[in-house]
Amino acid sequence: MTASLTNALLVMAILAIGVYLVAIINRAWANALGHSGAGNPFTAPFYSAASLWVAPANTTEAPDAMAWHLAPVLYLTLAAMGLALVPWSQNLVPVDLTTGIVLWGALEPLATVVIFLHGWSANAHLSMLGAYRYVSLGLSYLLVSMFVLIGVALPAESLQFSAVVESQAGLWNVIRQPLGLPLFLLVGLGISFWGPLNFADSNDLAGGTSSESSGRARLVWQAGRAVMLVAFSAIGATAFLGGWLGPVLPGFVWMILKTMVVLAMALLLGQLIPRFSPDRFLTIAWVLLLPLAFVDLVWAGLEALP
Amino acid sequence: MSIITVQIVAAALIGIGLYGALSQQSFVMLMMGLELILNGVMLAAVGFWAYSGTGIPEGQLLTIVVMAVMAIEMALGFALVVAVYRGKQADMTEALEGFKH
Amino acid sequence: MSFVDLIFLICGAIAIFSGWRVFCTDSMVRASFFLLISFIAVGVIMLLLGAVYLGVALFFMMAVEMMVMALFMVMFMMNPAGLNPMKMVHQDKFAALAGVVAFFALSAVAVFGDFPDQPRPSDLDPVVTLGKELLGDSMLVFESAGVTLLATMIGVVAMSSHRGRYGDANAGSRPPGLEPGGMPAFSGDQEGSSGGHHHHHH
Repeated sequence: MTASLTNALLVMAILAIGVYLVAIINRAWANALGHSGAGNPFTAPFYSAASLWVAPANTTEAPDAMAWHLAPVLYLTLAAMGLALVPWSQNLVPVDLTTGIVLWGALEPLATVVIFLHGWSANAHLSMLGAYRYVSLGLSYLLVSMFVLIGVALPAESLQFSAVVESQAGLWNVIRQPLGLPLFLLVGLGISFWGPLNFADSNDLAGGTSSESSGRARLVWQAGRAVMLVAFSAIGATAFLGGWLGPVLPGFVWMILKTMVVLAMALLLGQLIPRFSPDRFLTIAWVLLLPLAFVDLVWAGLEALP
Repeated sequence: MSIITVQIVAAALIGIGLYGALSQQSFVMLMMGLELILNGVMLAAVGFWAYSGTGIPEGQLLTIVVMAVMAIEMALGFALVVAVYRGKQADMTEALEGFKH
Repeated sequence: MSFVDLIFLICGAIAIFSGWRVFCTDSMVRASFFLLISFIAVGVIMLLLGAVYLGVALFFMMAVEMMVMALFMVMFMMNPAGLNPMKMVHQDKFAALAGVVAFFALSAVAVFGDFPDQPRPSDLDPVVTLGKELLGDSMLVFESAGVTLLATMIGVVAMSSHRGRYGDANAGSRPPGLEPGGMPAFSGDQEGSSGGHHHHHH
């Protein structure tokens, strides 16, 4: 019982620190690239969070009240479940399922469902458009992450994340399967609708699915996005960068360092690359990314042959 | 939780699904009824696998096959809906009455 | 009552309740997500029964399926938001009777049937045995399912594609008239609106 309580507290702590970390790194990149309006990276996140906290909640005409209130919470919950699957060191794994990879694969489509609910339940034009556009594009790249993760399960001969880390003791998957990490990171940007793949909440729809939400609901929604990106970075570091493996330093520190590198990379992409045009990205996803995922899987299979 | 309670839950799902499949006029709602029936079937199969099959893998295989059947049913169902909608601008089962002409 | 029993009761109740709500909610989008909740509850029961792969696989299979379903709901259906009451049923009483009869018949089998008490061994690894079965003795079954899915994909694309070798998929079709033999509700630039030419299709 105490072990599960400690694990729950660990996930909660990583969740809270992760949100702050995402805000800091994102603003630091913006300042470094000369984008205006980012403010002090360390204090500005608190100001914007506080302003959302005291802002009154918005209501729309005849929303689906239950889904409208639950969607941000559900999204944050799914992201937290993703964080719980991450093995932080050899004996510090909050939830070490034998089918961890499959559960992670289930969290992504469930997150897609929740994003759709968030936009649909407001009963407003722009949020509906954002949700609909997000889903029609999201269905095109969900498969990519499945294939990439099957690729890392092959050399591990297991669907367990800790086994995937141990299989990389000789050589990290990022070298064995070089296509894997970039494709996985791209899907991560898509699921947390960040930067170039922000099809749900982008400016051309005046905020898309969250155009009608304000106050604390919006704060939870934004925090959920950040936690989802952290979870993607941590799973990416686990699956491709050898997780807790590394010399001298303890495993926990290595894992945090690798997660932060992947996270910083994702946030830099978010600041550097403009948003893809949705219709063009649909073609890119089906014609380029999905075949690349197939290539990655065949590559992993050939590589794993004895 | 025993084999009897698991099978009763499965039977309830199959019963509700049968009601939906027989009573709904809209194609997609009808498909939901079929899905609910298959949901009950999968639960029953896993229940038998866990309680009276000594864990033989064929019990799990049956569930995988049912999942494939569901995917096929969904894909074909939606293709039919698209085809009927193109032809008749309708999504109701009654619209199929004159489809053979 | 143990913890597992309690979770089973809750999940069973959720599965049945949300399965029933599918057919009485006003919104078709809501209906598809109620169905998703029912599937997730069944997936949790499967996990309780020890089918660790199947339960989790059900989550992702059904999340994608229901997402597609909701997508189609918004595309084709009337009243996806559920702002108006919706009841589109035929043979309602007969269907309800059939459902109740099916439930009691199957429950009777469950209660009075004499099933062998052969639980799965506690040291059984369900993922390994399933994998060995899928790509071992039952490979033919598994691969047949795969080939059938491929055939479905090809058939579905052929059926729903706008274009064929001899023209559009809806060439020659005509929307139903508002009254028998009358003008269709939707005309656009279809042949029915041209007035002078009237085509018969048999």
